[in-house]
Amino acid sequence: MTINDMKPGQSARILKLNRGLRAGRRLFEMGLVPGTRVKLVSRHPFKGPVVLQIANTQIALGRKMANSVEIEIQE
Amino acid sequence: MAIIVIGNPNVGKSAALNRLSGSNILVSNYPGTSTEISANSVKIGKKEITVFDTPGIYSIFSEGEEQKAIRDLFAMEEIDLILNIVDASNLERNLVLSYELMDLGFPVLLLLNQIDRARSLGIRINERLLSELLQIPVIPFSATTGEGLQEVLKVLERTPRGKKDALAKEESQEKKESQFREVSPVGKESLAQERCFTELRTGQCNGHCGLCSIPATTCMSIADWGRVEKARTTAYMVSSNLGERQRILLEKTQAFFDSSLWGTPVLLFLAYLAFVLLLKFVAISEGPITALLEPLNQTIESFLSQILPPGIINTVLSKAIPEGLIIPFSIIMPAMLMVACIMSLLEDSGLLPRYSVALERTGSFFGISGEAIIPLSLGFGCRTPAIMASRIMPTASQRFIVITLLSIVVPCAATLGILASVIAAFQASLPIIVGTMIAVLMLMGFVLSRLMPREDAFIYELPPLRIPLWSNVGKKIKMRFSGFFTEVLPLLLIMSIAVRALLESGFLEIFHSMETFTRFLFGIPAEAFIAVLVTIFQRYLAPLVLLNLELTPREATIAISMIALSLPCLPAMVMTVREIGWSGLVKILGLGFLTSCSVGIMLNLIL
Repeated sequence: MTINDMKPGQSARILKLNRGLRAGRRLFEMGLVPGTRVKLVSRHPFKGPVVLQIANTQIALGRKMANSVEIEIQE
Repeated sequence: MAIIVIGNPNVGKSAALNRLSGSNILVSNYPGTSTEISANSVKIGKKEITVFDTPGIYSIFSEGEEQKAIRDLFAMEEIDLILNIVDASNLERNLVLSYELMDLGFPVLLLLNQIDRARSLGIRINERLLSELLQIPVIPFSATTGEGLQEVLKVLERTPRGKKDALAKEESQEKKESQFREVSPVGKESLAQERCFTELRTGQCNGHCGLCSIPATTCMSIADWGRVEKARTTAYMVSSNLGERQRILLEKTQAFFDSSLWGTPVLLFLAYLAFVLLLKFVAISEGPITALLEPLNQTIESFLSQILPPGIINTVLSKAIPEGLIIPFSIIMPAMLMVACIMSLLEDSGLLPRYSVALERTGSFFGISGEAIIPLSLGFGCRTPAIMASRIMPTASQRFIVITLLSIVVPCAATLGILASVIAAFQASLPIIVGTMIAVLMLMGFVLSRLMPREDAFIYELPPLRIPLWSNVGKKIKMRFSGFFTEVLPLLLIMSIAVRALLESGFLEIFHSMETFTRFLFGIPAEAFIAVLVTIFQRYLAPLVLLNLELTPREATIAISMIALSLPCLPAMVMTVREIGWSGLVKILGLGFLTSCSVGIMLNLIL
């Protein structure tokens, strides 16, 4: 399951980043680290970016980036 | 004594620094406002302190121009203290950078900035415990209210010069170099090596095992993971959340703008409103301003023609000076003022970055990622700072695309104003001109992005919505608008005199031999083609030449389109050379010239 499978309002825990090194490093620096809790705020239409809430910041992720972050849903 | 200010993007480094040193750095509510390291001198107590403000970074060890510039600064300057500005409401991620800074071996002072906001979010931080855990001084701070200011000043006064002894420095230098030089500590045990292999296979490379040639700045090292782990534990230990609390109005508004369904349409509607407001404001203010200026102009004209000896100088000056005053004041001034207001509000409220997200998908069709919206929209104010803001782009090729689009397609406020006036004067076709510009924007972006492959890796931090601080908005409007008096007005006056002189002297007659050529290719008279060439100096000057010609609406439409899509102005060129070098500028100039000519030929064929 990846961030793209989440619905707005759902929370999840990051399991793994499946991404090339460069983009992986950027995800890592923004705080998308395995073990972090994220909440999906919104999904922009027409396969636009998704907006995530991590602690008190909001991060927008392109769909391809979002597809490379494996998560497990937490209710 | 020298201190360096480092922190994550948009944590309020510049605002904190303004509060501390009384400096006047412009602040905005989006990540990436400061793009350069700036040095300021402040006197605190009896101490003369050099303060380096740096662009926001997430990690000092990663690749990127900003990170490299900061690392170079550590190598070049004798830094006595790192002032680490941390967003108190987002401690965990901010602490990763703090741990990196502490690993460098310099004394660090940590400011828990925006502590007021953190409190209003229900977050409590035990700063004493944090200070004990990190073994560095920690001060809760608010740039808005001034909380913590005295404590910081006290610490700065107490910090001795060159506290770090030579040995410690050498040690940290070695540590730093091993981080930068992607070398592994020698003598790894086989167990550790095996772990490296596993990590490599599972895609979690550690960069420090020496088993591959990937630079450490592009992947996560064991040290990186260690710092993340430490930051998480520390943040967990020192902060407590007071639990659910009432959401304030601002957060509700933010939720509305960020909602999947309403966000984008509302943002687009706001942009449309802003555009209509701009046009209406210019249209409404033109009449009264002209009426006010008319008597003054007549006085100047009669005064000049009386005091100057009769002859060509008399004719030129008495006509050119009133002409050179009326256009800037009646058209460019209102346009620049309105654009300055709109842009400052968008920046400070936090709405501008939301456009990046909303338009990410649209942008990707013509080869630019969402981040490009910020420099491109700043370009409607003035291109020169917008070119600098293009540093926000993640890759060099993306940056080139943005600078090219800015230089050739995006009209600045002054250009917009004057284009509008010429379009009205000749009854040129607005839909054709705007349509041509949009078509060129899309085509150029599309072609450039196909030539330069991009990694689809959009990731962007959205700042919280804020109510703009009016003093800051006012300061920005003043800064943006001052360009009118220092740059636009003098240049237009000088050019107006030059153009009038060319017309009166009959010098332009020489170009009549080009008439058949320009008419055949572009369908415009030779003089109008001269106006196109004038765009090299300053795009918004070129229409001045046109206003003195007699053109049919068709000729005017072609000429204005060619001017609107041509070469960048001189200040923009200087900035381009500074940012991406001469080769970049030459490419852009070539492309601009090609675009302008192709537009002329195409419109001549179609219309």
